[in-house]
Amino acid sequence: MSDKEKKFLEVRGLKKSFGSGDTHQDVLKGLDFTVGKGEFCVLLGPSGSGKSTLLNILGGIDSADEGEISINGDKLADMNEKSLTRYRRKHLGYVFQMYNLIPNLNVKENIETGAYLSDNPLDIDDLLKILGLYEHRYKLPDQLSGGQQQRVSIGRAIVKNPDILLCDEPTGALDYKTSKEILRLIEEVNQKYGNTIIMVTHNEAIKQMADHVIKLRDGMIRHDIVNTEKLTAAELEW
Amino acid sequence: MEDNKISFGKRPKDPLKRRVWKDLRRDWKRYLMIFLMLVVTIGFVSGMYVANNSMLSSLDSGAEKFSREDGHFRLSAMADPETVSAIETGELADVAGTFRQRAYDEAEDEVKKAVDEALAENVEEQVAEAIKAQVEAAADQQIQAAKAMGMEVSEEERQTMIDEALDAAMEENYDSAVAEALDAAKESEDYEKALSDAMDEAKKEIDKEIDEKYTELSDRYGLDEDFDPVPVKVYELFYKDTDESLTDGEKSGGIRIYKERTEVDLYDILEGRSPENEHEIIIDRMHADNAGIKVGDTVYAGNADFQVVGLVSFVDYTTLYENNTDTMFDALTFNVSMVTDEGFGRIKANTRANYAYTYVNEPADEFAEKEMSDNFLKALITQVAVAEGGDLEIKDFVPAYLDHAISFAPDDMGSDKAMGGVLLYILIAVLAFIFAVTISTTLEQEASVIGTLRASGYTKGELLRYYMSAPLLVVIFAAIIGNILGYTVFKKVIVAMYYNSYSLPNYETLWTPEAFIRTTVVPIILMLVINLIVIIRTLRLSPLRFLRHDLKRRRRKKAIRLPRWSFLKRFSMRVFLQNIPNYLMLFVGITFVMLLLSMAVGMPETLKFYQDKMPTMMFAEDQLILSSTEDEDGKLIETSAEGAERFSVYSLERRSDVFDEEVSVYGVEEDSSYVKLEKNTDPSSVYISEAYAEKYGVEKGDTIVLSEKYEQKEYEWKVTDVYDYSASIAVFMTIDQFNEVFDKDEGSFSGYMSNSKITDIDEEYIAKEITSDDMIKIARQLDHSMGSYMLYFQYVCMIVAAIILYLLTKIIIEKNQRAISMTKILGYENGEIASLYLIPTAVVVFFSEFLAIYLGYKLMEVFWKSMMMTLGGWFTFLMSPSGFVKEFVLVFAAYLIITVLDFIRIKKIPKVLALKNME
Repeated sequence: MSDKEKKFLEVRGLKKSFGSGDTHQDVLKGLDFTVGKGEFCVLLGPSGSGKSTLLNILGGIDSADEGEISINGDKLADMNEKSLTRYRRKHLGYVFQMYNLIPNLNVKENIETGAYLSDNPLDIDDLLKILGLYEHRYKLPDQLSGGQQQRVSIGRAIVKNPDILLCDEPTGALDYKTSKEILRLIEEVNQKYGNTIIMVTHNEAIKQMADHVIKLRDGMIRHDIVNTEKLTAAELEW
Repeated sequence: MEDNKISFGKRPKDPLKRRVWKDLRRDWKRYLMIFLMLVVTIGFVSGMYVANNSMLSSLDSGAEKFSREDGHFRLSAMADPETVSAIETGELADVAGTFRQRAYDEAEDEVKKAVDEALAENVEEQVAEAIKAQVEAAADQQIQAAKAMGMEVSEEERQTMIDEALDAAMEENYDSAVAEALDAAKESEDYEKALSDAMDEAKKEIDKEIDEKYTELSDRYGLDEDFDPVPVKVYELFYKDTDESLTDGEKSGGIRIYKERTEVDLYDILEGRSPENEHEIIIDRMHADNAGIKVGDTVYAGNADFQVVGLVSFVDYTTLYENNTDTMFDALTFNVSMVTDEGFGRIKANTRANYAYTYVNEPADEFAEKEMSDNFLKALITQVAVAEGGDLEIKDFVPAYLDHAISFAPDDMGSDKAMGGVLLYILIAVLAFIFAVTISTTLEQEASVIGTLRASGYTKGELLRYYMSAPLLVVIFAAIIGNILGYTVFKKVIVAMYYNSYSLPNYETLWTPEAFIRTTVVPIILMLVINLIVIIRTLRLSPLRFLRHDLKRRRRKKAIRLPRWSFLKRFSMRVFLQNIPNYLMLFVGITFVMLLLSMAVGMPETLKFYQDKMPTMMFAEDQLILSSTEDEDGKLIETSAEGAERFSVYSLERRSDVFDEEVSVYGVEEDSSYVKLEKNTDPSSVYISEAYAEKYGVEKGDTIVLSEKYEQKEYEWKVTDVYDYSASIAVFMTIDQFNEVFDKDEGSFSGYMSNSKITDIDEEYIAKEITSDDMIKIARQLDHSMGSYMLYFQYVCMIVAAIILYLLTKIIIEKNQRAISMTKILGYENGEIASLYLIPTAVVVFFSEFLAIYLGYKLMEVFWKSMMMTLGGWFTFLMSPSGFVKEFVLVFAAYLIITVLDFIRIKKIPKVLALKNME
């Protein structure tokens, strides 16, 4: 991996606070880290540690008070709202804890909402097969289980083959078995498509399948570890 | 994922576009309701515009095609050809000069006669004196000779001698001597001088009198102002007014029969053909419809029977106004017809010397037309004044632009169009806001999806286009279907309505860009703008706000604290507080419906009230206006009817830019039992009727200004008080004051009024009988034209109310379906849940109705007043308590139906909904 690839995502001096006066709260207190291209990075931390805020800032849907973020050399701070939208459209994929699918579009059409954003999207039928949803492609979201819905949401995010896949607690609303299936899918996506994945979770076990683990507490990085003994998703236990 | 090969596909078409159709399908009930309302409204208004435009265009082209007059005037008798020719020049006649010359001519004879008489008297006296002197001298000579002969002649004998000689001389010489002397005197210069002096004196008197009169005339008619001659072509358009009956002898109304029209004011034949012999007649199509007369039927005009061979629309009678001063047209009991010249001769009735005229030079615009008309009237007045015979009078003068028979229909169509347009835009605005509230609710419900799509890179523009698509598609489709229906079904409905009121010619349906713009382009833009504002405001929020469902612009700092009510009451109050914007929309919608209902319920009530009450509102049951107050022998015409009183009446005009209203000025006896005026000592003040006060907002102490018709003379009076009389626009004063104001002789009057039937006055002296029927023409005609539609309209309003309520209560329930689902999980029963979510709406509807009824009524009063301002007379818009109750019940009944649907909707909300996809 070249230096540039090693610093595919670079965060320097990132600060963020909410409220004012008595309600003022520093959520991020100056973060510095880098994520390499194609890395599977897990952001760990308890509730209120600032990990979702960090993810939102990285995704360009929230802004930092101070500090700098550059993704593949592009500085987010230099972008206006329109450029940020274009940036998200071209380079980012989002997966949320709640799947946020469009209720009256079927599985395939929901994935197409992501494909439409890319000039060169992945083949949707192939992707459906990878996601294990090919049989369900004409079903509406409310005809699917939670796990299947999350698969659709992952499909929607990766169909445009984004450089970075941002996942905010993607297994937070799922049971153990389904969570493992989703993690396995994310792992496979990472391996097959080489996307950089940044996943927010409070599940300590997931760090074992990551290349890179950043632990946050009270808005500060407590650990920034490169995981050399990766487990597969299937091997995880919690 | 055995294979690491990545396969790429094609970029799909925008899936959100496909979703638009799915959205429409998913929410088809809501969209269908809105669609239907828009289709009906757009269709109806489009139909109205198309019908209006096509009909107005037909009327416009008809003016030329059927050689419509530029005006007409009626004289007291037929004018001689010289007068007609003089009128056609459009020049002012030299009234002063003509009258002066006539006076001089008359004076010359009189002066000569007077001078000759004086001269003759003088000469006769002188001749008699001379003969007497000669006779006395001769007698004295004879007496002297007798005395010389010694004869004694006494004085008595001398006198006898002179008298005898004088008698003989007078008999023998006087006449010839007088004649000789007169001849000689007339030859003298003195005679010429005397004659000339007398003539000069007479001319001085004449000039003084003529100058005074001309100055008054000139002031009255503005004859000295700028004047351009208006040459015209005058056509005889004589007619006879008589009774119409369908069976011999049984009067069914009045009929105006014209002589054959060949040059001007022609007609469009809607059925049949023109009359070809003296027994055939063509009549107005509208009246024929109302009276049930068909081609082939026989009608009686007076005593003459005619076979109807054609139903037509006369170009100068698109609205059947008998007289231009009538408060309303009357297509029910008034007919216009035409027969051949021979047929005209068969009718026993007075011929009215009516003349139509057309301008030789067409006016450039309506301002020029008015100026030309004013100038022509001046010329007409002067030419008629100088006409040979000297007793010709103008009985009527109506330029086409002021002729209600010509202008009322197009004006009414214009105001219909304006009102239809306003109603369309109000409804579109209401629907657009319903759409906006719906979209706003959808945006709230789909906040996470929007947040995700925005976070994924969807632009605001893409989402805006998507959320705008459904409303726009609905409006566009509704506009297309509405326009198709407008040009087909609704146009026919509107045309039928117009044909039911007016005597309109055949028409051709025209493509009407205005209809397209107003019913398609404007509603789409209105819908676009209102929805755009709502959606853009929301989409401006960051993706994160959507993901957090944080769409409120203003953060509520604290929840409103509620009193210590029971839990269920507080719950309901929370539902109310949460839905205040929807309830405001609901209130606007109900007010809109109440406005329509005020018209639908109030108009028939108002018209019925006046039709029923008018006989009792007249101040005397029988009112006769006499053509002369003296009979042939110069004896005063009197009546022995119980309680009969003399009164006078005169018509003046209240002029305004909108409408010149005819005002009846009454002079009544000081202690009248019918019009009880308090003693009025100020001769410059009068009473006005309540109708006058209400229509023009005049109060006690104000000043009113009325004008003579066709003249510039004005009367200015202070209002002493408002007299409780609503039947007409009237002014009251004592008969003495009346006679003084209008320069009548003391003791003059126009007729009698009494609560007993006046039967002892010969018909030949009765000019007019004022009946309640004359007063209710307007109510009767409006009732005929619109009354029958109002009941249907009431139900249409109820449906509109139901749709608006359906759309808004649907939003309220959809907004709360998760909460409703959760309350079900908690164990609440459907009835309890319904009461929590439906009772606040019921309370809002209940109270909104009260306020909306009041507002709707007040708005309707404004609409009504603006409508009445363009018509003669005045009816106060009335609504009985039962009318208000009816309005309330209709809307509440609509609400109850919707409540049943809402209850079913609440019942159908599944419990699992609360557990699905919850954040």
